[in-house]
Amino acid sequence: MGHTATPPQGAGGLTATEHRLANGLRVVLSEDHQTPVAAVCLWYDVGSRHEVQGRTGLAHLFEHLMFQGSAQVSGNGHFELVQGAGGSLNGTTSFERTNYFETMPAHELELALWLEADRMGSLLHALDEESMENQRDVVKNERRQRYDNVPYGTAFERLTAMVYPEGHPYHHTPIGSMADLDAASLEDARTFFRTYYAPGNAVLAVVGDIDPEQTLAWVEKYFGSIPAHEAKRPPRDGSLPDIIGEEKREVLREEVPSRALMQAYRLPHDGTRGADAADVALTVLGGGESSRLYSRLVRHDRSAVAAGFGMLRLAGAPSLGWLDVKTSGGAEVADIEAAVDDELRRFAEEGPTDEELERAQAQLEREWLDRLATVGGRADELCRYAALFGDPQLALGAVGRILGITREEVRAAAAERLRPDNRAVLVYEPVAAADEQDHQNEVEETGQ
Amino acid sequence: MSGADAPEGTTMEFHPQPAGGAPKPWAFPTPERATLANGLTVLRCHRPGQEVVAVEVCLPAPLDAEPEGLDGVATIMARALSEGTDKHDAEEFAAELERCGATLDAHADHPGVRVSLEVPASRLPKALGLLADALRAPAFPDSEIERLVNNRLDEIPHELANPARRAAKELSRELFPAGSRMSRPRQGTEETVERIDAAAVRAFYEAHVRPATATAVVVGDLDGVALDAALADTLGAWTGSTAEPLPVPPVTADDAGRVVIVDRPGAVQTQLLIGRVGSDRHDRVWPAQLLGVYCLGGTLTSRLDRVLREEKGYTYGVRAFGQVLRSAPDGTGAALLAISGSVATDVTGPALQDLWQVLRTLAAEGLTDDERDVAVRNLVGVAPLRYETAAAVAGTLADQVEQELPDGFQGELYARLDGTGTVEATAAAVRAFPADRLVTVLVGDAAQIADPVRELGIGEVKVVSGS
Repeated sequence: MGHTATPPQGAGGLTATEHRLANGLRVVLSEDHQTPVAAVCLWYDVGSRHEVQGRTGLAHLFEHLMFQGSAQVSGNGHFELVQGAGGSLNGTTSFERTNYFETMPAHELELALWLEADRMGSLLHALDEESMENQRDVVKNERRQRYDNVPYGTAFERLTAMVYPEGHPYHHTPIGSMADLDAASLEDARTFFRTYYAPGNAVLAVVGDIDPEQTLAWVEKYFGSIPAHEAKRPPRDGSLPDIIGEEKREVLREEVPSRALMQAYRLPHDGTRGADAADVALTVLGGGESSRLYSRLVRHDRSAVAAGFGMLRLAGAPSLGWLDVKTSGGAEVADIEAAVDDELRRFAEEGPTDEELERAQAQLEREWLDRLATVGGRADELCRYAALFGDPQLALGAVGRILGITREEVRAAAAERLRPDNRAVLVYEPVAAADEQDHQNEVEETGQ
Repeated sequence: MSGADAPEGTTMEFHPQPAGGAPKPWAFPTPERATLANGLTVLRCHRPGQEVVAVEVCLPAPLDAEPEGLDGVATIMARALSEGTDKHDAEEFAAELERCGATLDAHADHPGVRVSLEVPASRLPKALGLLADALRAPAFPDSEIERLVNNRLDEIPHELANPARRAAKELSRELFPAGSRMSRPRQGTEETVERIDAAAVRAFYEAHVRPATATAVVVGDLDGVALDAALADTLGAWTGSTAEPLPVPPVTADDAGRVVIVDRPGAVQTQLLIGRVGSDRHDRVWPAQLLGVYCLGGTLTSRLDRVLREEKGYTYGVRAFGQVLRSAPDGTGAALLAISGSVATDVTGPALQDLWQVLRTLAAEGLTDDERDVAVRNLVGVAPLRYETAAAVAGTLADQVEQELPDGFQGELYARLDGTGTVEATAAAVRAFPADRLVTVLVGDAAQIADPVRELGIGEVKVVSGS
């Protein structure tokens, strides 16, 4: 049995105990009886960074296959049983992990544990060519709907490819390419399962209106007999220099509604103080309507309709800071770029004011409280810290760490990272539909 | 890691599927209702553990009240509420809000304007003060209004480029009579937005925004918050005259079966939006309709996705839903009933054929008792999950206010769903989506999809330009 923590200040009442089964499955429990609901969240330490060349998108396609039945669960049974019990469920795949989660009325918790254990232990009993072909088509339609058929839809994919070089495990995004999705075989999926879907490669969090002793007994009963296996291969090395070393730039002429300027920067790894400082810096610069870039571009220069920074925290490679500016009227990208550089330079010299720091920290604190507002959100955070950093208790101090960041740390993060030689720049110039085809071919060639 | 590798071929020990335990009681919360001295109605609801408090303010300023030719003025007014007050200019106001860790959003829809505040409980009194300033004494400076108008004009091409938004715009234009506000975009067109200035915004505000007709909903962990005192100092200090509710015309629509293709040469998918109007929440059939429409297309195990996604792989997902446009006890309201999703371009014809087959089979054979039971267990069972957060509870309470429903509506809805049988649910779903009375909008590559769609016989096909 693990230790119980008293919730520290700002942890939103979060507590956690840790346990480990003999087969290696790590278990995190967190009790909270305010609402009769319970969340089950299972993180497998496998994401798109584990994929090999020619098989991009496999981790995500595989996630879909996890909903196609297992030894005791037929076809769509996973969805049918959870929804029929008044629960909700889903799975997601990112660079670094794949997660599966169910939120259940508290009295149906045991069903969710049984279902997760069944597919962890016996997916290959049910996996067949028919579900593989079907879900391949579904995922290809997911790619079309979310990326290929929307304006600017492939921007993130292009920026990622510039920030993480060819051959790097984060060079491609989790959705993968159409060609690789077409190439994936049933045998690839089976091998993927045998390699990564092992109890020792997963963290299970159960959060909410639970009886910890009973819950642990159920976990032992359903997961305990799943054989341990250690086939996992570590992801390819994700280490990179802190700084890209040059500005990478791509200009796209596409049928988009307006010009756009996007930039992506390499930032410190998640789990470090530097990542928290960078998060605060991006919030001061582009995290809301009082942020510096919004004030400058949208309010004062009136050259942009929207301007904001986002951060993708990554543990196994440098994190990514992403600026997205859509131009207003006939504004030129060059003028916007000059204004952005001006603001970044000034911020790297001055750092934030006391008030700016206070505002950014207050915003980040509320975002954290929002994530802790549901049992599912809490379960996911506990899994994250357990899977990526080896210790779920770290989740309890996350807000405190953000609130402890100083002005000087924020300034330094900006000075070290938000520089022209550490970014990929993507510029969109709109063209009429008829002209687009030619240019897309050009871009493809440049890309190879 | 502990545990030795298992010998090859060893498998887990299987156990039978567990039966659930006894459900724990849960009920949709009943708010406490009060009226402040200035006439403002306040609904409050204590939700233990919810540290982020949600406040929703409903202003009965419907889109129908926008002056002729000024579509979008309600939207610009809603956005301008946070662009400066009698105490702070626009930038200071944004800074003060963010200092509270708060978010403030406002938007205009057919029933009225909604202002939504979310803030950690410890900073609720201060944020309520800012919210009250925005409602009580917005500055509406000329230059900020001009910027918001330009911003809105900039947004329009982005919306038209988005296949789902483009489809929604076209469906409204087809479905509702030309003179009706519902036929036109909620946030205005280039032509109407261009005409909006600070004077128009102020006039709209003065005509429709006042405490006596407004309602504030406050939900969250209110332990340790002196809410009465905070309200008295903030929203309680807002003054204004009383006003009669505005009469609005009943919703009517032309649902003669037909197809409009919005041409997007080269599109890799076709966006579908198939709809008509039907019963809203004041209609007795609502629970049966909710249930029946869920069985048709509420989730990926519903009839539509069972075929279109899980059997054929034509789509990432297609959903059927009922979205209230406006709802009132006198029966003048309506809900948009629609099926929406996107399918690969080359299978557009076959996907629509399957979709219509699902509708015809439903009409011919009805739902099964099993389908009905699973759907009820889901719709009722997910309530405690769905309403975990303060924002979710506040949103539903505010919808009820806007739709002139009693505070207990949502709670009673669960009991009514429990009492709805398979036959009623089938009848409601078939009535909601009759195969020959649906307006279909397809945003996609006309050269590839128009002929296959014509062959389906689901109505006359018209092609319009996508630009």
